[in-house]
Parts: sequence; C-alpha cells; structure tokens
Amino acid sequence: MTVLSARAHSARASGASARGPRGSRHITGAQTRAAWVLTAPFLVVFAAMFLAPLAYSAYLSLFTSQLVGGEEFSGLANYVRALQDPSFWSGLGRVALFLFIQVPIMLVASICFALALDSKRVKGGRVARLLIFIPYAVPSVVATLMWGYLYGTDFGLITQIFHAVGLPAPDLLSPQNILGSTMNIVCWEFIGYNMIILYAALRSVPDDVYEAAEIDGAGQIRIAWSIKLPAIRQAILLTIIFSIIGSFQLFNEPNLLYNIAPNAVGTDFTPNLYAYNLAFKNQDINYAAAIAFLLGIVIMIVSFVVQTAINRRERQS
Amino acid sequence: MTAAPIPATRAGRPRRVVERGRRRSTLLTIIVWITLIYFLVPLLWLFVSATKDNSDLFTSFGLWFGRSFQFFANIGNLFTFQNGVFAQWLANTVLYAVVSAVGAAALATACGYALAKYRFRGQGLVFGVILGSIMVPLTALAIPTYLLFAAANLTDSVWAIILPSFVSPFGVYLMRVYAADSVDDSLIEAARIDGAGEFRIFGTIALRLLAPGIVTVLLFQLVATWNNYFLPLIMLNTPTLFPVTVGLAQWQATASAGGGAQVLFSTVLTGSFVSVIPLIVAFLFLQRYWQSGLATGGVKG
Amino acid sequence: MKFRKTALALASGATVLALLSGCAGTSATTDSTKPVTQAEIDKAMNTPTTLTFWTWVPDIQNEVNLFEKKYPKIKVKVVNTTGGAQHYPKLRAALKAGKGVPDVAQMEYDYIPSFTQTKSLLNLEPYGAGKLKSEYVDWVWNQVANSSGVWGIPQDSGPLGTLYRDDIFTQAGLHGSPATWDDFAKAAAEVKSKTGAYITDLPGNDMFQMISFFWQAGAKPFSYDGKKTVGVDLDSATDQKVVAYWQDLIDKNLVATDPDFTDAYYQGLAQNKYASWLVAAWGPVFLQGTVKSTSGKWRAGNIPQWTAGANVSGNWGGSSDAVMAATKNPIAAYELAKFINNDESSTLMLANKQFLFPTTKATLSDPAFVDQKSEFYGGQQVNKFFAGVSNTVDKKFEWLPYMDYVNSSYTSTLGKAIANHGDLKAALAAWQQQVVNYGKQQGFTVK
Repeated sequence: MTVLSARAHSARASGASARGPRGSRHITGAQTRAAWVLTAPFLVVFAAMFLAPLAYSAYLSLFTSQLVGGEEFSGLANYVRALQDPSFWSGLGRVALFLFIQVPIMLVASICFALALDSKRVKGGRVARLLIFIPYAVPSVVATLMWGYLYGTDFGLITQIFHAVGLPAPDLLSPQNILGSTMNIVCWEFIGYNMIILYAALRSVPDDVYEAAEIDGAGQIRIAWSIKLPAIRQAILLTIIFSIIGSFQLFNEPNLLYNIAPNAVGTDFTPNLYAYNLAFKNQDINYAAAIAFLLGIVIMIVSFVVQTAINRRERQS
Repeated sequence: MTAAPIPATRAGRPRRVVERGRRRSTLLTIIVWITLIYFLVPLLWLFVSATKDNSDLFTSFGLWFGRSFQFFANIGNLFTFQNGVFAQWLANTVLYAVVSAVGAAALATACGYALAKYRFRGQGLVFGVILGSIMVPLTALAIPTYLLFAAANLTDSVWAIILPSFVSPFGVYLMRVYAADSVDDSLIEAARIDGAGEFRIFGTIALRLLAPGIVTVLLFQLVATWNNYFLPLIMLNTPTLFPVTVGLAQWQATASAGGGAQVLFSTVLTGSFVSVIPLIVAFLFLQRYWQSGLATGGVKG
Repeated sequence: MKFRKTALALASGATVLALLSGCAGTSATTDSTKPVTQAEIDKAMNTPTTLTFWTWVPDIQNEVNLFEKKYPKIKVKVVNTTGGAQHYPKLRAALKAGKGVPDVAQMEYDYIPSFTQTKSLLNLEPYGAGKLKSEYVDWVWNQVANSSGVWGIPQDSGPLGTLYRDDIFTQAGLHGSPATWDDFAKAAAEVKSKTGAYITDLPGNDMFQMISFFWQAGAKPFSYDGKKTVGVDLDSATDQKVVAYWQDLIDKNLVATDPDFTDAYYQGLAQNKYASWLVAAWGPVFLQGTVKSTSGKWRAGNIPQWTAGANVSGNWGGSSDAVMAATKNPIAAYELAKFINNDESSTLMLANKQFLFPTTKATLSDPAFVDQKSEFYGGQQVNKFFAGVSNTVDKKFEWLPYMDYVNSSYTSTLGKAIANHGDLKAALAAWQQQVVNYGKQQGFTVK
C-alpha cells in the first residue's frame, strides 16, 4: 500500500515538472521523466523505510506517556524536559569530549598512514595498507567483544603484559578510563577506513605536481604538508563530517561495553544509548523520540558549522 | 560542497611516470610495521582464543596457545550446537548482505546518476534530504520503526532486514559524485543525437562507466549489512532467521544469563573468528575495484 | 483528531494508518472468572492448535516434546529469546504493536507485576491454577499469585546459600561456611591475610543479589496493590544495616567489587581471587561449567545469619511461565505452561538436565534429584542441601511494576557506590529517592 501511494505521488510530481521544464539547456519531457523514473525506486524505499518512521517518531515525540494513565498530547513538553535533563547533557558532553579527542587522533593517524603509504617509501606497503584496513571488516559487536577481553581488569591481555614486565596495570574499565577505552576501540575500527578514503584521494592527485616540487628541492614532509594535504582537503572534510556524525551517534560500543563494565558505562553514557534505554527499558518511547530529534538537530548544527568554517578558511587562504 | 581544484583522473589509470618505489625509507618502514601490531594483535588474540577450551581461556596467556589445541573441537561444537544453527546464521548473513548490497547499489546507482545528469524541479531538495538523513540517529527511532513494520506485517521476516538495507544515502552521494565525473555529458548528447532513449543510454553507456563506483557501493553496503546488529536484533525473534552478529550476541548472553545457563565463551569466540573471515577475504579479492571507486568519491564533493 | 490527521499527512504513507487502526484492537478482554470445565479442556486439547512459546531455557524442546507426545493435536513453536535483556523489550514491543505476541512466555517473578499492570497476562485461576497451590513451595507460590489471581506457573527458584572454596577456607583456618554475618566478616579478614584472596565479590551491577540480601534480612522494600498504589521502602533500617555491613568490608578492602557474570569474573573464580560466592541454588552449575579446574574444591553451605542460631534465607532469581492475555488459545496455552512446570517427568528433566532449581514439592523430594552426589563439590549432595534451604526462604516478598527502572537506577546509585567504593548509605537514600520520583512521574500513588 505504501509503495503504491508513494509511486502515485511521484508520478504526479513528474507530470507537474514535465509541464514546466526549466534550465539553460534544452531539457525535454523525456529527460525529466527519465530523471524521476530513475530516482523513484530509491525515493519510494527511502520514504517507506526512513521518512515514515521519522515522521511517526516526530508525532510520538509530541505526546507524554505514563505507565498509569497512558498517552496524552503535550506539545513540546518532552523537548523542554530533555533540555533540563542532566542525563541528556552529560551524554552530550561526553560525546563532545569524544569528538574533540578521538576524532583528531584518529584522523591524524589516518592521514599519516595514507601519506606514508602514498610516498611509496614503505616496504610491503601494499600488504600494510590492507592489514590496517582489516579491522573495518570486523563487526563492531565482535570488535567490542574482543577488546573487552583484552581490557579485562585482572586477567585481560593488557594486564597480563603489564604484570609480565612488573608494572601495575591500569584499570581500563574504570569510570575514569572507560571513555578512553571506547575511543581506542573506535580508533581501531576506523583508522583503516579513513586511511583508505584519504589514500584513494592521494592516489588520484597527478604525480607531475610532486615531481616539480621535488625538482625544486622540497623535502617529503614539506611536499606532504603544502601540496598533498591541500590537494585532498575535500576528502579530509568528508572524513571529518562522517566522524562527527559517528561520534554523536556512538552506540554499539558503549552498549556492548555495558555488559562488562556496567557501573562505568551506565545507561546514559551517550545520548543515543540514553534514548535506547529510555525506549526499551523504561518504555518511554515518546521521550526517547524527543531525545533522538534533539540529537539529530545538534549533529546537523555541528556538521554545518564545521563545514562552513573549513570552507571559509579555504577561501581565505 | 565545492569541487576540488585539481580534476580527478579517471579511476584506475596508471599515473606514476617515474618509478619512485625504489627509494625505500627504512625508518618509515619500521614505524609503519610496528604500528601494525596494534591492528593485528586483537585479531591474533581472537585466533589464539578460538583454539582454547573454556578453562584455558581463563587461565593461560592470551597470545599463546593453551594446554590443549581445541580449534577443531571448537569448530565442531560451533557447527553442531543447537542443531547446527550457526551454519544457518552464516547462510542468512550471506543472503541478507548480498541481496541488500545488490539492491542498494541498484537503487543508489539509478538515483545518483539521475541527480548528476538531469536537471529537474526539486532536485536540490531531494539531494539535501538524502544527505541530511545520514545525520539522524536511527537507533533511537528503533521502536517507532518496529511499530510501523509490525503494522505492515514485516517484523520477524527476511524483509525486515533487507528492505531497510536498500536505503544507502551514502551510496547515492557516492554515485552522484562518481557519475558526474565519469560519465561525460558529450557522450550522452551524442547518444541522444543517434536516437538512443534515456534508459538505453543509462543501461548501455552509463552503467559500464559507473562499474567501479557500483562495486564500491556494493561492497560498503555488504559490510554494513554483514555487520548490522541493531536492526535484526529488534526486528527478528525466530533464531533461524538471525544473522551471525545477533546469534553470537545471543550465545554470549546465554553464557552469562540467569538460571540454567550454558557456558559458551569459547564457542562464541570461535564463532566470532569464523564470522570475520568471509568479509576479509571479500575485501582482499575485490580491492582493485573499491579503491578506485573511493578515489573519486573522496576527492570530489 | 485534527492533529492526528496532520501527522498522518506528514508521514506520507498508509503504514501509519494501518498502525493506528491496528493498535486500537490490542487490549485484551479475556478476564472471565468462570471456571473452565473439563469438557472444554478436552475439546481444546483435541483441536489442532499451534502455540508460540517464548523462553530462554536451553534445550526446552525436550520438555516440549513430552507435551506434544501427550497432546498430539497441539504443536508448539519454541522461540529462544536470549534471556532477560532481549526477552522483555521484545515482548513489550510485540504487545505495543499488537502483533507477534506469544501464547506462553517465560517470566521472572520480579517482572510479573509490570505485565499485570498493563493487563498483559491471563489470570490462570479459572483454568484450574488455583488447585496447584499446595504442590508448590509456599514462598514460590506467593511470587506468582496474589489476591486477584494466579499469573504464572513457577518454573525455577533461587534460594540463597554460600558456595565456598574448602581449600582456601582450610588454609585460612576456617571450618565450613561462616554461620553469622559477624563470623563472615571475621573470616574475610582471615582469608585475606592468610591467602590473599577476597572472601567474596560484591558486584555493583547485580541489583538482584543485593535485593536477595535485603530479602534474607527480612526487609520488605517494595509493595504493589495491583492497581495504582506502590510502596517503596528501600531506605529502611534493615536495608541500612545491610549496606553498612558491606560498607565496612569494602572500606577494609576485604571484598572485591567486580561486576559478576563477566568473563573476568569467571577468571577471578578460576584463579582463586574470590574464596566464596553468595549465590542462589542455580549457582553450582555455573561454577561446574566455567571453573572446571577447581573441581572438587567447592562446598555448599548456608547463607550467614543476622541472628545467631536463626535459619533464614532469601531468594535470588527464578522464573515462571505465564500465559499472555492476547492468546487465542487460552486453555491449550495454560495446559502447556502447567505441563512444563508441573508434570513430574518434565520438572525432573528441567531440574536434572537444564539445572533449573525446582519449585514443586514433589521434585524437591524426589530421590532422582536430591540424592545426586556432585564430584565438583567433593561428593556433597548439593541438591539436597539447597532443597533444605528452600524451606527457609522468607515467605512474603513483593515487587514494583517497574523493576527495569529500579534496576537501572540501582546501577547509577548504590551499585555505582559499591563499584567506586563510595558512600553506600547516601547512595541507598538516592536510590530510594529516584525510585519514588519515577513512580510519581509515571502516575502511581507512592506510599
């Protein structure tokens, strides 16, 4: 039913635009029709699988529910409540901290690996590139399970190694360290992924640019800094934006770490985890939906600000 | 986003004029290979753990083998436990991942191509909404999604996993960028003058040029579905429909559940080890395609 | 109404419409109190029927096979739901959607009120459950029945005892498990100084262990009238006494405070980090599987007492099989729940094969269960021992209709204070406050 109604909708829309073609080039009705026919399958599934749940959540977020008494319309009350909820803010603060520490570390590491491998000065670079990338193919469920074992307070591998060399082992699952431990897991999973994107970008920069610089006597580091990095700044921006989104939506890793370090992680470690726990454990779907929307708004604002800031600096320089 | 000032070359074209490979740096080589330990130790640990029984797992050094080599016994347990449901999970995962990847790549290719090569009303809005959707935290909307799916009788079925995986906003973005770069407008115009219809142009000329981009989207959606945990977790109840991730997490939970539990730590670890192998192999064999596809997606924006 | 229309237009799909109309017809109205006759039962059990059964008991298909053999017309689809973490959210999601709700679902005792509050469970009294009362241990029956009905058939229970390492205790100069909590504290100091081990672990993530300690101390922290009134008395004098006791041991570094049921915890048990485990009757089988290397060194003893000479225990865990109100086959569903947990061969199988600690008096005295000797426990008859403990569990203990929240609140208050070696008394008060506030916010009258 959904499919049919959406298809009817898109058919109407294409008819409308076919009547009024615009643009500088000569665009025929056939082309507009083709454009809509080609986009329609995606848009239909997108509307049914994504926009409909989104709209339904928006609708739900305007109600408050109680175990006794049920649901009633309450306008923006859930949003007001969220803005005064220390759990929401502490979670947001934690992912912001994550963003400011983990994302730079991860991306700098990715850039360094990409530059090192692109320079062709590493023996076995091809193999190294693939090995760095492999963690991306490991499901986050498995990655967190593995690292959880390695972190183990008394008998984990890291503790075993510390003890073997006669040092006191850090408690990587303590409340003070758990954020850092989470950062490490995310780094492990995504350094290779970002490295591959950046490496691919570097590869498509023509060689003659470097060769000219080399002939001028510029060192490798100088070439990397003043020629290679500017050349791939769009790719860097892309990885930054994706990392921002990923940080704010942090969920799988803390949710699975909760099993082994429940008191350190807690139920409101990240806003996404908080919303999930509200919905699934406290049965408060309405409030959870409001939290999710606020989080989405924050992500959009931050992504927009970062993108504008980087692009403006580019224009200035 | 603005286009990069240096025009990207067509993916896969050899570019090195001078063979720079001969000038190796020992220092750089050592640094890179030492840092590789970081990426490999967890996986090595996983393999070593897959060779131990529960008792050795908790008493022997993590990076070396235990008192007995139990790898094959563990593999045997893995594939016979609960009537061999693990094999079913692997098969499900392959099915979900492949069907989703093909579907998502097809939809994203058509949509991305149209967005890149045609001008039509609402184009900007469509692209904006698709890109914006990446920013919405889907996990938090899980229950509304579940309720809608239940209303459509889709929960606890194969479709509950496959249909949502057809939507790849990143795939559309990538294909739009890729199509803009690799399918020449003059080529399309020439085909039109020859009297080819729009769909024929797409089907015969564009698709071939888009191939590396398609493979990239295909692979990334394959990984995304393969590794998907949350969606199947909430949508599926029947164990025979589970993908590997949910099944393993279930066993892990069983290992530490309340009354009447079974101890499955080594089985879970062996299962984890087995489940990561197919993807690694897929990436190794298809690397030529996805790397060239990414090159364009990353440079142009 | 107007608002609803706007929202529908926004959602741009027929699915929302289908959802809203689907949701309208979910509330079940199967609450007839007229007893079901034998003729009705016979008819139902001879009509081809398929039942869905959600449970996380491993290999329960074996017991189900016995049922299907007795009632060949009834087919049972067993769905293994992982255990509590996924079981209840999924059940609630299905209830909310009004689709995919099972006929019979495993249900822990502490979860029953949260499902009766939403009227999701079938009252089993008209189906004959009332007559089963005398066949179950008293305190267990009180967990599934109240003045308004019977809400599940008890499956397993967890009377509290002490599992201890005889070798470590002997090394510390102790004989057997400590009789009182005072003795236990003294023993803790001996064990620590002579062997280096912690006498036990007090996990900050396990609310139910802490509650079982409260239960054993005679506290009644929760009450619920089945309607809108709840009572919360977590910050009582008894509970304060219990947390003050543990505060002392934590401050002296005589107990560990690691999370339980993690791999690190089992490693701790295997590597002599903890000398005992204050655990329920289902604990023995856990140890046998995880710490085989310590086989023969373990013994079971009573939980320490607050008053010398007393013999009181508490309960930790246990579950029932409940029939969902939404079932279309209430009689067959009830017969399944009853058969699994009442039929002699089925309950014995649950006890001996799946190691669920029994709830029926018959199985608790069946030689095939109690006379087993366990090598792991040095030949001790562990089942017989815990069967005895079962009779000493304090009889009346109630739960709140929102234990999920109580649990997550525990993790961030008292549990957190335990894990971080903080102020337990203040954390107990904070827990009380949060649980009261949540109750009020959810529309309950809090006593």
